[in-house]
Amino acid sequence: MRGFRAGFRLQLSFFRNYPDMLIPLLTAPLFTIIFSMVLRHGGRSDLSGYAVIAPFYMSLWWFAIFNGGWVIQTERWEGTIDYLVAAPTGFASVIVGRISTMMFAGAFAFVEVWLFGRYVLHATVTIHHPYVFGASLLLTLFAMTTTSLFMANLFVLSRSAVTFSNSASYPIYLLGGILVPIALLPGWLQPVTNIVFLSWSARLLRGSLGATPIANAGFDLAMVFVLGLAALILASALLTRILRRAQQTGELALR
Amino acid sequence: MTTLRIMRYALLSGAYDYGSIYTWRSWLGGWFLRVLAQVSFFALIGRLLGAEQQTWFLLVGNAVMLAAMEGVWALNMVSWERSAGTLPLLAASPTSPVLVLASRGVYLIADGSISALGALFVLGPLFGLPLPWPRVLLVIPLTILVGASAYCLGTFLGGIVLGYRGVNSLVANVGLVAVMTLCGINVPLAAYPGPIAWISQCLPVTHGLIAVRDVLSGNLAAAGVQALIEAAVAVCWLGICLLTFRWFVYRGRRSGSLEYAT
Repeated sequence: MRGFRAGFRLQLSFFRNYPDMLIPLLTAPLFTIIFSMVLRHGGRSDLSGYAVIAPFYMSLWWFAIFNGGWVIQTERWEGTIDYLVAAPTGFASVIVGRISTMMFAGAFAFVEVWLFGRYVLHATVTIHHPYVFGASLLLTLFAMTTTSLFMANLFVLSRSAVTFSNSASYPIYLLGGILVPIALLPGWLQPVTNIVFLSWSARLLRGSLGATPIANAGFDLAMVFVLGLAALILASALLTRILRRAQQTGELALR
Repeated sequence: MTTLRIMRYALLSGAYDYGSIYTWRSWLGGWFLRVLAQVSFFALIGRLLGAEQQTWFLLVGNAVMLAAMEGVWALNMVSWERSAGTLPLLAASPTSPVLVLASRGVYLIADGSISALGALFVLGPLFGLPLPWPRVLLVIPLTILVGASAYCLGTFLGGIVLGYRGVNSLVANVGLVAVMTLCGINVPLAAYPGPIAWISQCLPVTHGLIAVRDVLSGNLAAAGVQALIEAAVAVCWLGICLLTFRWFVYRGRRSGSLEYAT
């Protein structure tokens, strides 16, 4: 826990000193405006909740990939990873602490766009199923943390990490159905969405804003958890491999 | 002649930089995939609304937006020079830094235009968008014009971030989404409140995009007028950029903010 807390505090300090890291908190309200305008212009003000949910996921993904995904690699470039790995505190706990701070910022983005949507754009965003909403939000943050951890390890091993991080956003938004439900995607693409945890999560969050009962909420919640757990297992395996390789080659900070 | 030589070397330098980031395979399998997903993401909102015209409106707007997006990325030239440690050298050289910075990113106009046109011509038929031949070919120079116009704005923003190294990505990202919000990409200008619509008229993309929509709907005379206004907007932003850049560099020299930083 000490490592986790230290990582958490360290990331907060980064946020204070590098405002660039908090970009999604500025772009999220703008995306809310864009989506709200499109939906209202199309005569579907009743879908205003969609305009709040989507920017939240976009912000969360941004924090997970562009901040969390690069967290280990930047420690390598800065030459600080040697000290982190050699310290008595677990390396993973510090990294998880840092990524968790980013997820808190992502969760704050939800509060921000919800308030903005409700009180500035006067959108109808009432949470009709608070328990499902709370559970899916928590599980989404868990799954996004583990996905970010997986990316952070993958980016160390991959030569195409920059290309991937620049390119992954919209394909994931599309496959995750964060704005438009999966049912509107081409039939051949729909099975692929099952392995993207956002597709289960987005359905739950959108559903919790509707007055009608949510079908299969328990199953959907379980899927978010299982996919998040799968990402955690993969991340642990990759981290073990990275550290073992570093022990064998003696190369940790240098690329 | 010296100016042209400097511009050529700056352009080649930028193109080589880009070549080191992407291969054809990674461009098609990574970047272009994202481009298709981005445009589809917005176009599908039209499907959600059950309105074909709105689907096409969103598709065209967000495809052309790609040219503008890469154009605005011209402001990244400043931070790249800074992280390479060459920004102080540029500021100290007898040539104006704006000449190098404005030329180095010209490949962004080409890449943005190819991305935009690729998205339009690949996704257009998939979404049933009519692309009437041969007048659809007019969309090509108009898209390049939009990219160039946004590039002028991007270079101006690059001058602003010269003195504030911590806000480069912030200005780039917020600037892009602001352009996406204000320039009639997703809803017609008529849907904006009066003062916002007025601001939109002064921004790149707005008129170029209307020209593209006019071409697709067969209103070529109106498209010509809108294209001329877009070109005028681009010239204005370029002028503002040239006028202010010298002052931005002077301010950077005085404050010592042109130093190396990653």
